[in-house]
Amino acid sequence: MLNMNGISKVYQTEMVQTHALRDFNLQVNEGEFIAVTGPSGSGKTTFLNIAGVLEPFTQGEYLLDGVDIGKLNDNQRADIRNQKIGYIFQGFNLIPDLNLYENVEVPLRYRGIKAPERKRRIEESLEQVGLASRAKHLPQQLSGGQQQRVAIARALAGKPRFLLADEPTGNLDSLMARQVMELLEQINRDGATIVMVTHDSELARRAPRNIQVVDGQIADFSLYQGNPAAVVGV
Amino acid sequence: MFEFKPILNALLRAKSGAILLLLQIAITTAIVSNAAFIIKDRIAYLEQETGLPEQDLFQAEMMMYGGDIDLDKQIERDEALLRNIPGVIDAVHINAVPLSGGGSGGSYTLLPQDQVSQSVSAAYFLADNHVLNTLGVELVAGRNFEESEVIVSNDGAAIAKVALITQAMHDEFFPEGNGLGQTIYRENDPVKIIGIIKLMKGPWLNDKRKDRSLIFPHVRPRTFQKFIIRTKPNERATIMRKIEDVLLAEYPHRVVNSVRGLDELKAKYVAEDTLMVRMLMVLIVILVMITALGIFGLTLFNINKRLKQIGTRRALGARKSAIIRYFLVENALICSVGVVVGSLGAIWMGNKLMALYSVPALSASYIVITSLLVIVMSLLAVVGPAKRAADISPSIATRSI
Repeated sequence: MLNMNGISKVYQTEMVQTHALRDFNLQVNEGEFIAVTGPSGSGKTTFLNIAGVLEPFTQGEYLLDGVDIGKLNDNQRADIRNQKIGYIFQGFNLIPDLNLYENVEVPLRYRGIKAPERKRRIEESLEQVGLASRAKHLPQQLSGGQQQRVAIARALAGKPRFLLADEPTGNLDSLMARQVMELLEQINRDGATIVMVTHDSELARRAPRNIQVVDGQIADFSLYQGNPAAVVGV
Repeated sequence: MFEFKPILNALLRAKSGAILLLLQIAITTAIVSNAAFIIKDRIAYLEQETGLPEQDLFQAEMMMYGGDIDLDKQIERDEALLRNIPGVIDAVHINAVPLSGGGSGGSYTLLPQDQVSQSVSAAYFLADNHVLNTLGVELVAGRNFEESEVIVSNDGAAIAKVALITQAMHDEFFPEGNGLGQTIYRENDPVKIIGIIKLMKGPWLNDKRKDRSLIFPHVRPRTFQKFIIRTKPNERATIMRKIEDVLLAEYPHRVVNSVRGLDELKAKYVAEDTLMVRMLMVLIVILVMITALGIFGLTLFNINKRLKQIGTRRALGARKSAIIRYFLVENALICSVGVVVGSLGAIWMGNKLMALYSVPALSASYIVITSLLVIVMSLLAVVGPAKRAADISPSIATRSI
């Protein structure tokens, strides 16, 4: 599903050169649920951005579902994000001026899905996260946990095979966090591959496979419960 | 594809910025369409055909203070002197100068004053039979004065019995076109129309009488005198420079107090209108620039306010073109409502101007053209910021701002 070989990312300013990722190797199989942990500044977000095709990498090779991401132009990268990847952000990233229905609709519109099909998918995904009755509400009328569920519904509506979650429970209390985690687990059981970046070790332990990023490289996979051979770089 | 509905819904939920922009566009549309219409109207007024070769004509105004001369004879000598200057086509003594803003007028009727009949007000000129050639105007019917018809008298009771009238005045009295040879009346004095002048503007361009003039064959020898001189093309300036010396050499007891070209006199007369046109043009430019800057600034502000949102849209699969389209559509929606409101404002403003300042009724085409220009300007103003928005990296969605 996801195959990173020798990925490096260098941020260059006039004065400073920062190596955010160095010779990063990772293979994620279809249907896996991986938790990525690591201290602040370790490169977790950079890894997530590159894995999510949100920013380019400096060196290496990244194959997502067999597609060589490094060879794509900007439009193709946008299409990959739209069609193959679902995102769940720490801050939910809902558009405040759009109601829940319209928020979930955003990626479907970019995919050019016709209105009746959009409607079906939106209602289905809002139903899945338990918020179908609040489709006309604005995000600010919901609690943090509900907003994150809307963000999950938005990610699910596109039926992505690959879900990226960036601290999905970071802004939630423990009860809400547990509910969101259960939802992610359910989505994984339904077949989606999930990579979740988190600071929360308890949450990470619930993922079948863990990797730890330190100084831009995978440093430890002791918490994994999956196949250690899948972790290429240590 | 164009996301009209969600954009409209979003605008309706966050109205303040949109309303500000909408008002700015509406005000610009209302003011610019009226200003453009007034400019067009004033330019038409400033550039109206006068029927006179303004570049070749000039006036010489003087005061005779010597008590030792016969003014009748002196005028004859002066006219002869002026006509003989090399480069002069003709010259004439006259009571008023066309386009200068100063002259005489009166009412004329189809029947004597004591009977009810149509009345037409008009400017009148008093000059001899050189007037047509000097002014360079064209007779479309009839004849010029004969020398024998010219009255030289300062006596108010001396009244010419014939006159040349302009086509516009003729058409007022005789719309059927049969005025030549007919008689009109100045109070109870009959005046026979012997010739019709195609076009000759009177002294007042900004007046309903501007096209209605009569010329009587009459020379009034007064101490304050005016001559109009017509020169060959490009020789006027040279002759104007030496005219005072020539006149003083002929008779020194006079003061030549004004030697001015007809175009200069006209420019002075229409100076306020010229200034108004320039000010309105500046107003339009400033207003359009302010609006364009306003749209540019507000779009930039909106983009900076929505960095995360734009990044999120990019992360969710928006191509750069979709982001640009979003801002263009958003702006077009605001702008469309703005120009509709502005068009209504323009009509209201036009009616007010018409009622208060006698400005002609605003033509709908000005509103339409202004609206289109405002929409184009508005879209152009938003292209730059929209491109900037499209360049926002999708990775901003995962960063803290």
